[in-house]
Amino acid sequence: MKSKILAFLGSALISGTAMAGGYQVNLAGQRQIGMGHTGTGLVTGTSSIFFNPGAMSHLGYSGVTIGGSALVSRIAHSAPESNGVTARTDNPLGTPFQVYGVYNINEKFSAGLGVYTPFGSTVNWGDEWSGRYGLNQLELQAIYVQPTVSYAITEKLGIGIGLSYVIGSVNLQRSVPVQNQDGTEGGIELDGGAESAFGFNAGIFFQPTEKFSIGVNYRSRVDLKVEGGDVMFSNIPAAARGNFPDGTTFNAELPMPSTLSVGIGFKPNERLTLAADISHVGWDAYEKLRFDFSQNVAGSPSSEAARNYENAFIYRIGGEYMATDALALRAGAYLDKTPVQDGYLTPETPDSDSRGLSAGIGYSVSENFSIDASFLYINKKERTDAANLSSGIAGTYKSVAYIPGIGLNFKF
Amino acid sequence: MKKFFYKSSVLALMAGMFLTSCDPEIDTPSSSAGEVNFAKYIAIGNSLTAGQGDGGVYREGQLNSYPAIMAEQFKTVGGGEFTQPLFTEEQRNGTGYLRLAGFTAQGSPITANVTEALAIRSVSPRLYTKYLEPINNLAVPDIKVADVKTAGYGSTQGNPHFERITPDNNSSQTYLQRIQQSTDHTFFSMWIGNNDVLSYATSGAAFSGGALNSNSRTITPTATFDANYSELLTALTAGGQKGVVATIPDVTAIPFFTTVGPSVQQLLAANNIPGLVALTGSGSSRIQIAPAQINAAQNGVYFLLTSSAYASLVGQRTGKYWRDLARQVSASQDPLAVRGTLAGLLLAYQVDTTAMFGLSAGNPIPSALILDAAEQQNVRTATEAFNNIIKAQADARGLALFDANAYFNNVKTGFGKNGVAYSPAFITGNLFSLDGVHPTPRGYAFVASEMIRAINSKYNANVPTVDETQYRTVLFPTQQ
Repeated sequence: MKSKILAFLGSALISGTAMAGGYQVNLAGQRQIGMGHTGTGLVTGTSSIFFNPGAMSHLGYSGVTIGGSALVSRIAHSAPESNGVTARTDNPLGTPFQVYGVYNINEKFSAGLGVYTPFGSTVNWGDEWSGRYGLNQLELQAIYVQPTVSYAITEKLGIGIGLSYVIGSVNLQRSVPVQNQDGTEGGIELDGGAESAFGFNAGIFFQPTEKFSIGVNYRSRVDLKVEGGDVMFSNIPAAARGNFPDGTTFNAELPMPSTLSVGIGFKPNERLTLAADISHVGWDAYEKLRFDFSQNVAGSPSSEAARNYENAFIYRIGGEYMATDALALRAGAYLDKTPVQDGYLTPETPDSDSRGLSAGIGYSVSENFSIDASFLYINKKERTDAANLSSGIAGTYKSVAYIPGIGLNFKF
Repeated sequence: MKKFFYKSSVLALMAGMFLTSCDPEIDTPSSSAGEVNFAKYIAIGNSLTAGQGDGGVYREGQLNSYPAIMAEQFKTVGGGEFTQPLFTEEQRNGTGYLRLAGFTAQGSPITANVTEALAIRSVSPRLYTKYLEPINNLAVPDIKVADVKTAGYGSTQGNPHFERITPDNNSSQTYLQRIQQSTDHTFFSMWIGNNDVLSYATSGAAFSGGALNSNSRTITPTATFDANYSELLTALTAGGQKGVVATIPDVTAIPFFTTVGPSVQQLLAANNIPGLVALTGSGSSRIQIAPAQINAAQNGVYFLLTSSAYASLVGQRTGKYWRDLARQVSASQDPLAVRGTLAGLLLAYQVDTTAMFGLSAGNPIPSALILDAAEQQNVRTATEAFNNIIKAQADARGLALFDANAYFNNVKTGFGKNGVAYSPAFITGNLFSLDGVHPTPRGYAFVASEMIRAINSKYNANVPTVDETQYRTVLFPTQQ
């Protein structure tokens, strides 16, 4: 069992994901995915470590959850005036995952540990499309490890906070517009691991009545810095090689933006739970993508492209109906507004307003063991952009994603 | 077991179908021919239309000619096959061309001639392997509007590119007559007239009159241009055909004229040289050139790309240019004959090769290496007159117009597309080939897209534009 989990983690480390506003990946718990990824105002189970640490002390048991999703994302591109689809991504399967463990110390205190992947992006356009000098492929991943404590001030009010230890990496590949005598083009690859960084995740949970609950959650901004990442050139013609020196390294910084969420839960009867969340994501932290090189590359010590993301809201609703004592049926929907302004679209994250529709089931096999399964369909609005402000690739982009997921819950 | 395979293959098929149907689609406008019938497209023009680049016509350049690129796009809206007088694979290097061999330590490009797999069937007079099948691309490199009614232009004594496609039994046929033969075309493009002014400019106006007068290097009289241009269009539209024509770019927008100047300026500054002496026009008059005039917008002087071999000799007591010229123009390569020609040249232009090159009235910069202010004015005046004719004709005949003059003026300041920077800069600008005059295949792809835009807007068509990134820029040697 242990080795299988490790294998699973390994594959997750290799392939990140991207299917939300910007490069945020909102797939933090299988039950909640089924409910439109609401949960700030609910006791969601062990995943409260992510959704609202303030609710964790109201869980009332110890448990472990292991879950993961299989993210199939597809993006199409139509170059301006081409009258057709001119490129499609061949993205590898993304495998965002989550592991949560909560230990119920006593009625007031609980402690837990979460490991999850709230940001990432893997997009592969290949090296033949018209935007290849902008991007061949990008792999960006961030893994959060979050030890968390929660305290129930009263039976109705709980607070919690977790410290996020964040590791990440980036790999970006582009074609270089210099051609050999045989017509082949050069390539550049930037590859680096981020210095470990820290953030926090804090929440307050308040349940004034049996039927009604409310929560506020704040996950802080974390800046991932790569220092001394490798710059690798391939297939550069000899005459141009002086412009692309071997042994170059790069520094770069990428913000993982803050997220402030407010959510409510409502239980009109014993069997039905309804939830709604609003999140505010601090995307304005992402102003530019800048690489500083240790030696001049193509005659310049750095490469910088404006991003100027703007803060964005996410609106979510979801529900869960207990069809039997063991079987839960779930559904939800959300609207994730894009942080990318007009003129700033890029092939890394050809973002637009995302519509998410989800469904899920939960089944309690026994008192101590239950299974959650979810399916999320994401459809991003078709978006046409000149990409003239981001050094991006102009055109029309359309993205969809199909994300089945499964989670196992153990109670002790 | 069989059943298992059946089941699993059905499952795999269903999974495959599911994943394919998962692909997002994009609502794009649909392609349409508008008011145009693209069934048979023919192209009229000069070297630009033939796909010339890197100082030669060769198979790869022909395959990437802008008419060939456009014809590919026309196929999406009912266009037919487009046949070009391609050099064969065995003779793929055609006329020969320049390749980039490397760079000097100072970073100046070194070019080399490609001399194998040529299609030369006679060295003197220069003739190429014939191509007599029916063709859609009727472009003839070097042709001027002034030449289209010249009988014998397709003979062995005429233009070897036209001779190449002219039937042996009809060698007196003019270019206009050849075009008049085409009656079943449904659409045409015509970009011609560049050489009526360009050949004057690229030879520094040195051969328009004087001891070395050459009719092919003079500016065409406006009346001749007007009359011939009109006759060409009358022939092409005889059946009511639609088409696109293009104006003549300003010569100052191409790297052939703008590349060498800055290095001459540096040379002068480094040696505290206050100015140069040069020949102007086709005679023996001298002019003074101040360093600030080089590449200047007002009263400027351009050093032509052909001057790069001589510019570095400024200040030396040398007659290299005149020796090279004598070898070129001498009727015989016999050393005595060449020496005689040289003596005649030095006398005609009153040159003393023991004086310091470029610094003394005795040994001035030859006129053929520069385009001075007065010469530029002649070029500008003629270009404007020709373009006014082209625009008026297009307008009167309801033809689409690609204003290449406006386009290349716009490009002067550079632009970016799909993550690549473009400008008229030599080699690094990606648009112009190694001869500094003709575009790279990438540059021709941009031209094709511009022409398509002109066609679309004139005829309510929606022909897709071209993915320029599929066409190459300048190729670099893999090994230094």
